[in-house]
Amino acid sequence: MIRPLAFCLALVPFGALADDGYSEEDIREIASDYGLSAEPLMLGGDVDYGAYLAGECTTCHQTSGAYDGIPVITGWDALFFKIAMHEYRAKSRENPVMQTVAARLGDEEIAALAAYFAGLEDD
Amino acid sequence: MTLNRRDFIGTAVAASAALSAPMVRAQGAPRVVVVGGGAGGATAARYIAKDSAGAVNVTLIEPTRSYYTCFFSNLYLGGFKQMDELGHSYGGLAANGVNVVHDWATGVDRDAKTVALAGGAAVPYDKLILSPGIDFVDDAVAGWDLSAQNAMPHAYKAGSQTELLKAQLAAMPEGGVFAMVAPPNPYRCPPGPYERVSMIAHHLKNTNPTAKIIVADPKGKFSKMALFQEGWNNHYAGMIDWIGADFGGDVVEVDPAAMTVSIDGEVTKVDVCNVIPAMKAGMIAHAAGVTDGNWAPVNAADMSSKADPDIYVLGDASQQGDMPKSGFSANSQAKVCANAVRGALTGSRVFPARFSNTCWSLIDTNDGVKVGATYKATEEKIAKVDGFISATGESADLRKATYEESEGWYAGIVADMFGAKA
Repeated sequence: MIRPLAFCLALVPFGALADDGYSEEDIREIASDYGLSAEPLMLGGDVDYGAYLAGECTTCHQTSGAYDGIPVITGWDALFFKIAMHEYRAKSRENPVMQTVAARLGDEEIAALAAYFAGLEDD
Repeated sequence: MTLNRRDFIGTAVAASAALSAPMVRAQGAPRVVVVGGGAGGATAARYIAKDSAGAVNVTLIEPTRSYYTCFFSNLYLGGFKQMDELGHSYGGLAANGVNVVHDWATGVDRDAKTVALAGGAAVPYDKLILSPGIDFVDDAVAGWDLSAQNAMPHAYKAGSQTELLKAQLAAMPEGGVFAMVAPPNPYRCPPGPYERVSMIAHHLKNTNPTAKIIVADPKGKFSKMALFQEGWNNHYAGMIDWIGADFGGDVVEVDPAAMTVSIDGEVTKVDVCNVIPAMKAGMIAHAAGVTDGNWAPVNAADMSSKADPDIYVLGDASQQGDMPKSGFSANSQAKVCANAVRGALTGSRVFPARFSNTCWSLIDTNDGVKVGATYKATEEKIAKVDGFISATGESADLRKATYEESEGWYAGIVADMFGAKA
Protein backbone atom coordinates (compact mmCIF):
# COMPACT_ATOMS: atom_id res chain seq x y z
CA MET A 1 0.00 0.00 0.00
CA ILE A 2 1.39 3.39 -1.05
CA ARG A 3 0.73 6.44 1.11
CA PRO A 4 1.43 10.03 0.11
CA LEU A 5 4.80 11.19 1.36
CA ALA A 6 3.31 14.21 3.14
CA PHE A 7 1.24 11.93 5.36
CA CYS A 8 4.29 10.01 6.45
CA LEU A 9 6.29 13.16 7.20
CA ALA A 10 3.52 14.38 9.46
CA LEU A 11 4.03 11.27 11.56
CA VAL A 12 7.78 11.74 11.81
CA PRO A 13 8.39 15.05 13.57
CA PHE A 14 11.91 14.11 14.69
CA GLY A 15 13.13 12.47 11.52
CA ALA A 16 12.94 8.92 12.85
CA LEU A 17 13.24 7.34 9.45
CA ALA A 18 16.63 8.84 8.83
CA ASP A 19 17.93 8.23 12.37
CA ASP A 20 16.76 4.65 12.57
CA GLY A 21 18.08 3.83 9.14
CA TYR A 22 14.87 2.23 7.91
CA SER A 23 12.90 3.14 4.85
CA GLU A 24 9.15 3.40 5.14
CA GLU A 25 8.93 0.20 3.13
CA ASP A 26 11.21 -1.59 5.62
CA ILE A 27 9.08 -0.48 8.55
CA ARG A 28 5.85 -1.55 6.84
CA GLU A 29 7.30 -4.98 6.11
CA ILE A 30 8.64 -5.43 9.66
CA ALA A 31 5.39 -4.19 11.21
CA SER A 32 3.51 -6.70 9.12
CA ASP A 33 5.84 -9.49 10.29
CA TYR A 34 4.96 -8.61 13.89
CA GLY A 35 1.25 -8.04 13.27
CA LEU A 36 1.52 -4.38 14.29
CA SER A 37 0.41 -1.24 12.53
CA ALA A 38 3.31 0.62 10.98
CA GLU A 39 2.44 4.26 11.75
CA PRO A 40 3.29 4.21 15.51
CA LEU A 41 6.60 2.56 14.66
CA MET A 42 7.50 5.51 12.41
CA LEU A 43 7.22 8.04 15.24
CA GLY A 44 10.42 9.71 16.31
CA GLY A 45 10.99 10.19 20.02
CA ASP A 46 11.63 13.12 22.36
CA VAL A 47 14.83 12.05 24.15
CA ASP A 48 14.33 14.35 27.18
CA TYR A 49 10.83 12.98 27.71
CA GLY A 50 12.21 9.48 27.25
CA ALA A 51 14.87 10.12 29.89
CA TYR A 52 12.14 11.05 32.36
CA LEU A 53 9.85 8.18 31.43
CA ALA A 54 12.83 5.81 31.71
CA GLY A 55 12.68 6.29 35.47
CA GLU A 56 9.87 3.76 35.39
CA CYS A 57 12.20 1.25 33.67
CA THR A 58 15.43 1.81 35.55
CA THR A 59 14.15 0.47 38.87
CA CYS A 60 14.72 -2.93 37.23
CA HIS A 61 16.62 -2.44 33.95
CA GLN A 62 20.15 -1.17 34.54
CA THR A 63 21.29 1.85 32.51
CA SER A 64 24.85 0.46 32.62
CA GLY A 65 23.64 -2.41 30.46
CA ALA A 66 24.47 -4.96 33.19
CA TYR A 67 22.40 -8.16 33.29
CA ASP A 68 21.40 -9.80 36.60
CA GLY A 69 18.09 -11.45 35.65
CA ILE A 70 16.24 -8.53 34.01
CA PRO A 71 16.79 -8.09 30.27
CA VAL A 72 19.21 -5.44 29.03
CA ILE A 73 17.38 -2.62 27.21
CA THR A 74 20.22 -0.17 26.56
CA GLY A 75 21.52 0.27 23.05
CA TRP A 76 18.51 -1.39 21.42
CA ASP A 77 17.66 -0.41 17.93
CA ALA A 78 14.79 2.08 18.41
CA LEU A 79 12.47 0.31 15.97
CA PHE A 80 12.75 -3.00 17.80
CA PHE A 81 12.34 -1.31 21.16
CA LYS A 82 9.07 0.18 19.88
CA ILE A 83 7.98 -3.20 18.54
CA ALA A 84 8.60 -4.88 21.91
CA MET A 85 6.65 -2.23 23.80
CA HIS A 86 3.73 -2.31 21.34
CA GLU A 87 3.64 -6.09 21.71
CA TYR A 88 3.51 -5.79 25.51
CA ARG A 89 0.78 -3.18 25.20
CA ALA A 90 -1.19 -5.50 22.91
CA LYS A 91 -0.50 -8.33 25.40
CA SER A 92 0.91 -10.46 22.60
CA ARG A 93 4.22 -10.56 24.49
CA GLU A 94 4.27 -12.23 27.92
CA ASN A 95 5.12 -10.72 31.30
CA PRO A 96 2.54 -9.08 33.55
CA VAL A 97 4.93 -6.38 34.83
CA MET A 98 5.73 -5.25 31.29
CA GLN A 99 2.13 -5.56 30.10
CA THR A 100 0.98 -3.35 33.00
CA VAL A 101 3.69 -0.76 32.39
CA ALA A 102 3.04 -0.71 28.64
CA ALA A 103 -0.74 -0.54 29.04
CA ARG A 104 -0.66 3.17 29.81
CA LEU A 105 2.11 4.20 27.43
CA GLY A 106 0.91 6.07 24.37
CA ASP A 107 2.63 5.87 20.98
CA GLU A 108 4.52 9.07 21.79
CA GLU A 109 5.77 7.68 25.12
CA ILE A 110 6.94 4.45 23.51
CA ALA A 111 8.80 6.40 20.82
CA ALA A 112 10.40 8.63 23.47
CA LEU A 113 11.61 5.63 25.48
CA ALA A 114 12.93 3.95 22.34
CA ALA A 115 14.90 7.05 21.38
CA TYR A 116 16.35 7.42 24.89
CA PHE A 117 17.43 3.80 25.39
CA ALA A 118 18.80 3.52 21.85
CA GLY A 119 21.24 6.25 22.83
CA LEU A 120 22.53 4.47 25.95
CA GLU A 121 25.54 2.31 25.24
CA ASP A 122 26.05 -1.05 26.92
CA ASP A 123 29.15 -1.48 29.08
CA MET B 1 13.19 -10.84 6.77
CA THR B 2 15.52 -11.69 9.65
CA LEU B 3 16.73 -8.88 11.85
CA ASN B 4 18.72 -8.98 15.04
CA ARG B 5 18.67 -5.95 17.29
CA ARG B 6 22.42 -6.35 17.79
CA ASP B 7 22.87 -5.65 14.09
CA PHE B 8 22.03 -2.07 14.74
CA ILE B 9 23.81 0.55 16.74
CA GLY B 10 21.70 3.18 18.44
CA THR B 11 22.30 6.80 17.73
CA ALA B 12 24.32 8.69 20.32
CA VAL B 13 22.16 11.35 21.90
CA ALA B 14 22.53 14.35 24.12
CA ALA B 15 21.63 12.31 27.19
CA SER B 16 24.91 10.43 27.27
CA ALA B 17 26.84 13.68 26.93
CA ALA B 18 24.94 15.10 29.89
CA LEU B 19 25.82 12.06 31.99
CA SER B 20 29.52 12.48 31.41
CA ALA B 21 29.59 16.25 31.87
CA PRO B 22 32.05 17.36 34.55
CA MET B 23 30.51 18.17 37.92
CA VAL B 24 31.17 21.87 38.35
CA ARG B 25 29.59 23.53 41.36
CA ALA B 26 28.44 26.97 40.50
CA GLN B 27 28.69 29.48 43.32
CA GLY B 28 25.21 30.30 44.47
CA ALA B 29 23.72 27.19 42.91
CA PRO B 30 20.35 26.29 44.48
CA ARG B 31 20.61 23.89 47.39
CA VAL B 32 18.72 20.66 47.84
CA VAL B 33 19.09 18.80 51.12
CA VAL B 34 17.93 15.18 51.26
CA VAL B 35 17.46 13.50 54.63
CA GLY B 36 17.63 9.71 54.56
CA GLY B 37 19.67 7.60 52.14
CA GLY B 38 17.31 4.74 51.39
CA ALA B 39 15.28 3.92 48.29
CA GLY B 40 13.62 7.35 48.26
CA GLY B 41 16.41 9.66 49.40
CA ALA B 42 19.38 8.06 47.66
CA THR B 43 17.45 7.95 44.38
CA ALA B 44 16.31 11.56 44.64
CA ALA B 45 19.82 12.78 45.49
CA ARG B 46 21.38 10.78 42.68
CA TYR B 47 18.88 11.89 40.03
CA ILE B 48 18.99 15.58 40.92
CA ALA B 49 22.80 15.60 40.94
CA LYS B 50 23.05 13.54 37.74
CA ASP B 51 20.42 15.41 35.74
CA SER B 52 21.37 18.90 36.87
CA ALA B 53 25.08 18.23 36.16
CA GLY B 54 26.26 20.67 38.80
CA ALA B 55 23.51 23.27 38.47
CA VAL B 56 22.02 22.14 41.79
CA ASN B 57 24.01 21.64 44.99
CA VAL B 58 22.80 18.33 46.52
CA THR B 59 23.55 17.27 50.10
CA LEU B 60 22.46 13.88 51.43
CA ILE B 61 22.28 13.45 55.20
CA GLU B 62 22.39 9.81 56.26
CA PRO B 63 23.81 8.52 59.56
CA THR B 64 24.99 5.09 58.38
CA ARG B 65 28.13 4.51 56.31
CA SER B 66 26.73 1.32 54.85
CA TYR B 67 23.07 1.00 53.99
CA TYR B 68 21.55 -2.45 54.41
CA THR B 69 18.45 -2.86 52.31
CA CYS B 70 15.33 -3.97 54.12
CA PHE B 71 14.20 -5.50 50.83
CA PHE B 72 15.80 -8.93 50.38
CA SER B 73 16.71 -9.07 54.11
CA ASN B 74 14.17 -11.89 54.47
CA LEU B 75 16.24 -13.84 51.93
CA TYR B 76 19.18 -13.49 54.30
CA LEU B 77 17.03 -15.06 57.05
CA GLY B 78 16.20 -17.90 54.66
CA GLY B 79 19.86 -18.45 53.79
CA PHE B 80 19.53 -17.24 50.19
CA LYS B 81 21.64 -14.09 50.66
CA GLN B 82 24.66 -13.06 52.70
CA MET B 83 24.43 -9.87 54.76
CA ASP B 84 27.29 -8.27 52.85
CA GLU B 85 25.28 -8.66 49.62
CA LEU B 86 22.65 -6.36 51.16
CA GLY B 87 25.10 -3.63 52.20
CA HIS B 88 25.83 -0.63 49.99
CA SER B 89 28.15 2.34 50.50
CA TYR B 90 27.51 5.93 49.48
CA GLY B 91 30.80 6.24 47.59
CA GLY B 92 29.08 6.05 44.22
CA LEU B 93 26.83 8.99 45.10
CA ALA B 94 29.77 11.03 46.39
CA ALA B 95 31.70 10.33 43.20
CA ASN B 96 28.73 11.57 41.20
CA GLY B 97 28.47 14.97 42.80
CA VAL B 98 26.34 14.36 45.91
CA ASN B 99 27.72 15.87 49.11
CA VAL B 100 27.24 12.91 51.49
CA VAL B 101 27.12 13.89 55.18
CA HIS B 102 27.05 11.06 57.73
CA ASP B 103 25.13 12.59 60.60
CA TRP B 104 21.65 12.56 62.14
CA ALA B 105 19.22 15.27 61.12
CA THR B 106 17.59 16.30 64.38
CA GLY B 107 15.39 19.24 63.43
CA VAL B 108 14.17 21.54 60.68
CA ASP B 109 13.83 25.32 60.99
CA ARG B 110 11.26 26.02 58.28
CA ASP B 111 11.54 29.81 58.61
CA ALA B 112 15.34 29.92 58.37
CA LYS B 113 15.23 26.95 55.95
CA THR B 114 17.95 24.98 57.69
CA VAL B 115 18.34 21.39 58.86
CA ALA B 116 19.98 20.89 62.27
CA LEU B 117 22.45 18.02 62.60
CA ALA B 118 23.31 16.10 65.75
CA GLY B 119 26.93 17.14 65.16
CA GLY B 120 25.91 20.79 65.64
CA ALA B 121 25.84 22.12 62.07
CA ALA B 122 22.86 23.81 60.43
CA VAL B 123 22.57 22.98 56.72
CA PRO B 124 20.72 25.53 54.57
CA TYR B 125 18.29 24.45 51.87
CA ASP B 126 16.12 25.87 49.13
CA LYS B 127 14.27 22.57 48.79
CA LEU B 128 14.25 19.86 51.45
CA ILE B 129 13.45 16.23 50.69
CA LEU B 130 12.64 14.01 53.67
CA SER B 131 12.86 10.27 53.17
CA PRO B 132 13.39 8.97 56.70
CA GLY B 133 11.54 5.65 56.44
CA ILE B 134 9.72 4.39 59.51
CA ASP B 135 9.86 4.47 63.26
CA PHE B 136 7.71 2.41 65.62
CA VAL B 137 4.60 3.65 67.40
CA ASP B 138 5.15 3.72 71.17
CA ASP B 139 3.20 1.13 73.17
CA ALA B 140 1.90 -0.51 69.99
CA VAL B 141 2.47 -4.01 71.38
CA ALA B 142 1.78 -4.42 75.10
CA GLY B 143 4.96 -5.36 76.96
CA TRP B 144 7.35 -4.34 74.16
CA ASP B 145 9.39 -1.20 73.69
CA LEU B 146 12.75 -0.47 72.03
CA SER B 147 14.60 -1.58 75.19
CA ALA B 148 13.26 -5.09 74.44
CA GLN B 149 14.56 -5.19 70.86
CA ASN B 150 17.42 -7.51 71.78
CA ALA B 151 15.20 -10.06 73.51
CA MET B 152 12.49 -9.72 70.87
CA PRO B 153 13.93 -8.15 67.70
CA HIS B 154 11.81 -6.27 65.19
CA ALA B 155 14.31 -6.81 62.37
CA TYR B 156 12.27 -4.31 60.35
CA LYS B 157 15.20 -1.95 59.81
CA ALA B 158 17.79 -4.15 58.19
CA GLY B 159 21.28 -4.77 59.52
CA SER B 160 22.17 -5.66 63.11
CA GLN B 161 18.55 -6.47 63.98
CA THR B 162 18.29 -8.89 61.07
CA GLU B 163 21.57 -10.57 62.05
CA LEU B 164 20.33 -10.85 65.63
CA LEU B 165 17.11 -12.55 64.55
CA LYS B 166 19.02 -14.99 62.35
CA ALA B 167 21.39 -15.87 65.22
CA GLN B 168 18.43 -16.48 67.50
CA LEU B 169 16.81 -18.76 64.92
CA ALA B 170 20.05 -20.72 64.55
CA ALA B 171 20.20 -21.20 68.33
CA MET B 172 16.57 -22.37 68.64
CA PRO B 173 16.26 -25.72 70.43
CA GLU B 174 15.02 -28.72 68.50
CA GLY B 175 11.25 -28.54 68.21
CA GLY B 176 11.25 -24.96 69.50
CA VAL B 177 8.70 -22.22 68.88
CA PHE B 178 9.14 -19.08 66.78
CA ALA B 179 6.47 -16.40 67.20
CA MET B 180 5.87 -13.32 65.10
CA VAL B 181 3.69 -10.40 66.11
CA ALA B 182 2.64 -8.92 62.75
CA PRO B 183 1.91 -5.19 62.34
CA PRO B 184 -1.41 -3.41 61.63
CA ASN B 185 -1.91 -1.46 58.38
CA PRO B 186 -0.37 0.66 57.03
CA TYR B 187 3.21 -0.52 57.33
CA ARG B 188 6.44 -0.91 55.36
CA CYS B 189 6.42 -3.77 52.81
CA PRO B 190 2.94 -5.33 53.05
CA PRO B 191 4.05 -8.87 52.04
CA GLY B 192 7.23 -8.59 54.17
CA PRO B 193 6.06 -10.35 57.36
CA TYR B 194 4.67 -13.26 55.34
CA GLU B 195 7.73 -13.63 53.15
CA ARG B 196 9.67 -13.63 56.42
CA VAL B 197 7.48 -16.43 57.80
CA SER B 198 8.16 -18.34 54.57
CA MET B 199 11.91 -17.82 54.77
CA ILE B 200 12.06 -18.79 58.46
CA ALA B 201 9.99 -21.89 57.68
CA HIS B 202 12.45 -22.72 54.89
CA HIS B 203 15.36 -22.38 57.32
CA LEU B 204 13.64 -24.44 60.03
CA LYS B 205 12.48 -27.15 57.63
CA ASN B 206 16.15 -27.78 56.79
CA THR B 207 17.66 -27.40 60.26
CA ASN B 208 14.90 -27.94 62.81
CA PRO B 209 11.94 -29.63 61.11
CA THR B 210 9.87 -30.23 64.26
CA ALA B 211 9.94 -26.50 65.15
CA LYS B 212 6.68 -24.52 65.07
CA ILE B 213 5.80 -21.04 63.83
CA ILE B 214 3.02 -18.95 65.38
CA VAL B 215 1.92 -15.67 63.78
CA ALA B 216 -0.31 -13.32 65.78
CA ASP B 217 -1.82 -10.87 63.33
CA PRO B 218 -4.02 -7.85 64.11
CA LYS B 219 -5.36 -8.07 60.53
CA GLY B 220 -7.95 -10.42 59.11
CA LYS B 221 -6.23 -10.68 55.75
CA PHE B 222 -2.88 -9.72 54.25
CA SER B 223 -0.99 -9.06 51.04
CA LYS B 224 -0.74 -12.07 48.64
CA MET B 225 -2.60 -14.09 51.29
CA ALA B 226 -3.84 -16.84 48.96
CA LEU B 227 -0.37 -17.22 47.43
CA PHE B 228 1.37 -17.46 50.80
CA GLN B 229 -1.18 -19.84 52.28
CA GLU B 230 -0.97 -22.09 49.23
CA GLY B 231 2.83 -22.04 49.49
CA TRP B 232 2.79 -22.75 53.21
CA ASN B 233 0.56 -25.78 52.61
CA ASN B 234 2.74 -26.99 49.75
CA HIS B 235 6.14 -26.51 51.37
CA TYR B 236 5.67 -26.30 55.14
CA ALA B 237 2.52 -28.29 55.95
CA GLY B 238 1.67 -28.31 59.66
CA MET B 239 4.48 -25.94 60.64
CA ILE B 240 2.77 -22.52 60.52
CA ASP B 241 -0.17 -21.41 62.67
CA TRP B 242 -1.46 -18.02 61.49
CA ILE B 243 -3.87 -16.45 63.99
CA GLY B 244 -5.73 -13.53 62.45
CA ALA B 245 -7.91 -10.88 64.06
CA ASP B 246 -10.97 -13.12 63.92
CA PHE B 247 -9.25 -15.56 66.28
CA GLY B 248 -7.69 -13.11 68.74
CA GLY B 249 -4.53 -12.29 66.81
CA ASP B 250 -5.23 -8.63 67.58
CA VAL B 251 -5.16 -9.17 71.38
CA VAL B 252 -1.48 -9.66 72.06
CA GLU B 253 0.86 -9.05 74.98
CA VAL B 254 4.52 -10.05 75.18
CA ASP B 255 6.88 -10.52 78.12
CA PRO B 256 10.45 -10.22 76.83
CA ALA B 257 11.97 -11.24 80.20
CA ALA B 258 9.94 -14.44 80.47
CA MET B 259 9.91 -15.01 76.67
CA THR B 260 6.16 -15.50 76.58
CA VAL B 261 3.50 -14.32 74.14
CA SER B 262 -0.13 -13.99 75.16
CA ILE B 263 -2.61 -14.26 72.28
CA ASP B 264 -6.23 -13.59 73.25
CA GLY B 265 -5.34 -14.50 76.84
CA GLU B 266 -3.56 -17.77 76.01
CA VAL B 267 0.08 -17.60 77.15
CA THR B 268 2.71 -19.50 75.15
CA LYS B 269 6.40 -19.92 75.99
CA VAL B 270 8.45 -19.17 72.89
CA ASP B 271 12.12 -19.50 71.95
CA VAL B 272 12.36 -16.67 69.45
CA CYS B 273 9.92 -13.77 69.10
CA ASN B 274 9.88 -11.24 66.26
CA VAL B 275 7.79 -8.22 67.25
CA ILE B 276 6.93 -5.94 64.32
CA PRO B 277 5.10 -3.01 65.94
CA ALA B 278 2.77 -0.48 64.35
CA MET B 279 4.70 2.13 62.37
CA LYS B 280 4.85 5.86 61.79
CA ALA B 281 6.96 8.25 59.70
CA GLY B 282 10.59 8.57 60.75
CA MET B 283 11.38 11.10 63.47
CA ILE B 284 12.55 14.00 61.29
CA ALA B 285 9.17 14.21 59.53
CA HIS B 286 7.50 14.78 62.89
CA ALA B 287 10.24 17.19 63.99
CA ALA B 288 9.72 19.20 60.79
CA GLY B 289 6.04 19.51 61.60
CA VAL B 290 4.87 18.04 58.30
CA THR B 291 3.00 15.04 59.74
CA ASP B 292 -0.70 14.66 60.42
CA GLY B 293 -0.98 11.77 62.87
CA ASN B 294 1.53 9.05 62.05
CA TRP B 295 2.37 10.05 58.46
CA ALA B 296 3.23 13.05 56.29
CA PRO B 297 0.50 13.97 53.77
CA VAL B 298 1.83 14.93 50.33
CA ASN B 299 0.57 16.26 47.01
CA ALA B 300 0.58 13.46 44.46
CA ALA B 301 1.84 15.60 41.57
CA ASP B 302 5.33 16.16 43.03
CA MET B 303 5.44 14.59 46.55
CA SER B 304 5.51 18.06 48.15
CA SER B 305 4.28 18.27 51.70
CA LYS B 306 0.75 19.57 52.21
CA ALA B 307 2.20 21.60 55.10
CA ASP B 308 5.16 23.28 53.34
CA PRO B 309 5.74 23.77 49.57
CA ASP B 310 9.54 23.66 49.98
CA ILE B 311 9.53 20.28 51.75
CA TYR B 312 8.94 16.96 49.99
CA VAL B 313 8.34 13.61 51.68
CA LEU B 314 9.12 10.31 49.96
CA GLY B 315 8.52 6.65 50.57
CA ASP B 316 7.30 4.97 53.72
CA ALA B 317 7.00 8.24 55.67
CA SER B 318 4.59 9.81 53.19
CA GLN B 319 0.84 9.54 53.14
CA GLN B 320 0.13 9.61 49.44
CA GLY B 321 -2.82 7.37 48.65
CA ASP B 322 -2.85 3.99 46.98
CA MET B 323 0.82 2.99 46.72
CA PRO B 324 2.10 0.40 49.18
CA LYS B 325 5.01 1.42 51.39
CA SER B 326 7.86 -0.28 49.56
CA GLY B 327 11.38 0.41 48.35
CA PHE B 328 10.11 0.24 44.76
CA SER B 329 7.41 2.83 45.52
CA ALA B 330 9.92 5.15 47.23
CA ASN B 331 12.28 4.86 44.24
CA SER B 332 9.41 5.63 41.85
CA GLN B 333 8.23 8.62 43.89
CA ALA B 334 11.82 9.90 44.13
CA LYS B 335 12.12 10.21 40.35
CA VAL B 336 8.88 12.18 40.07
CA CYS B 337 10.03 14.42 42.92
CA ALA B 338 13.54 14.86 41.48
CA ASN B 339 12.09 15.97 38.14
CA ALA B 340 9.80 18.49 39.86
CA VAL B 341 12.44 19.85 42.25
CA ARG B 342 15.04 20.27 39.52
CA GLY B 343 12.44 21.98 37.35
CA ALA B 344 11.49 24.37 40.15
CA LEU B 345 15.13 25.30 40.81
CA THR B 346 16.61 25.39 37.31
CA GLY B 347 13.66 25.73 34.93
CA SER B 348 14.29 22.30 33.39
CA ARG B 349 11.33 20.51 31.81
CA VAL B 350 8.82 19.02 34.23
CA PHE B 351 6.75 16.07 33.06
CA PRO B 352 3.51 14.71 34.51
CA ALA B 353 3.85 12.39 37.52
CA ARG B 354 3.61 8.65 36.93
CA PHE B 355 4.37 5.96 39.44
CA SER B 356 4.71 2.20 39.55
CA ASN B 357 5.43 -0.57 42.03
CA THR B 358 6.15 -4.27 42.01
CA CYS B 359 6.71 -6.39 45.14
CA TRP B 360 8.31 -9.81 44.68
CA SER B 361 8.26 -12.38 47.48
CA LEU B 362 10.06 -15.69 47.83
CA ILE B 363 8.06 -18.54 49.41
CA ASP B 364 10.60 -21.35 49.02
CA THR B 365 13.54 -22.14 46.73
CA ASN B 366 12.64 -20.92 43.21
CA ASP B 367 9.03 -20.27 44.27
CA GLY B 368 8.69 -16.55 43.64
CA VAL B 369 5.46 -14.52 43.40
CA LYS B 370 4.77 -10.88 42.61
CA VAL B 371 2.15 -8.17 42.82
CA GLY B 372 2.33 -4.78 41.15
CA ALA B 373 0.51 -1.79 39.77
CA THR B 374 0.81 1.52 37.97
CA TYR B 375 -0.38 4.77 39.53
CA LYS B 376 -1.11 8.36 38.56
CA ALA B 377 -1.42 11.65 40.39
CA THR B 378 -4.89 13.02 41.02
CA GLU B 379 -5.83 16.17 42.95
CA GLU B 380 -6.68 13.99 45.91
CA LYS B 381 -3.98 11.31 45.99
CA ILE B 382 -1.75 8.87 44.14
CA ALA B 383 -4.39 6.68 42.54
CA LYS B 384 -4.03 3.16 41.21
CA VAL B 385 -4.44 2.77 37.44
CA ASP B 386 -3.99 -0.94 36.76
CA GLY B 387 -2.39 -3.94 38.44
CA PHE B 388 -1.53 -7.62 38.40
CA ILE B 389 -0.79 -10.43 40.83
CA SER B 390 0.66 -13.92 40.48
CA ALA B 391 -1.98 -16.65 40.38
CA THR B 392 -2.27 -19.66 42.65
CA GLY B 393 -1.36 -22.93 40.94
CA GLU B 394 1.26 -21.44 38.62
CA SER B 395 3.87 -23.75 37.10
CA ALA B 396 7.24 -24.30 38.78
CA ASP B 397 8.92 -22.81 35.71
CA LEU B 398 6.96 -19.57 35.98
CA ARG B 399 7.64 -19.31 39.72
CA LYS B 400 11.35 -19.82 39.09
CA ALA B 401 11.32 -17.15 36.38
CA THR B 402 9.56 -14.79 38.80
CA TYR B 403 12.25 -15.38 41.41
CA GLU B 404 15.00 -14.76 38.86
CA GLU B 405 13.23 -11.56 37.86
CA SER B 406 13.35 -10.44 41.50
CA GLU B 407 17.11 -10.99 41.55
CA GLY B 408 17.40 -8.75 38.51
CA TRP B 409 15.18 -6.14 40.14
CA TYR B 410 17.38 -6.07 43.24
CA ALA B 411 20.49 -5.41 41.16
CA GLY B 412 18.56 -2.79 39.20
CA ILE B 413 17.14 -0.83 42.10
CA VAL B 414 20.40 -0.66 44.05
CA ALA B 415 22.17 0.55 40.90
CA ASP B 416 19.40 3.13 40.48
CA MET B 417 19.79 4.25 44.11
CA PHE B 418 23.56 4.25 44.55
CA GLY B 419 24.91 4.26 40.99
CA ALA B 420 26.34 1.34 39.06
CA LYS B 421 29.10 -0.57 40.82
CA ALA B 422 32.56 0.36 39.54
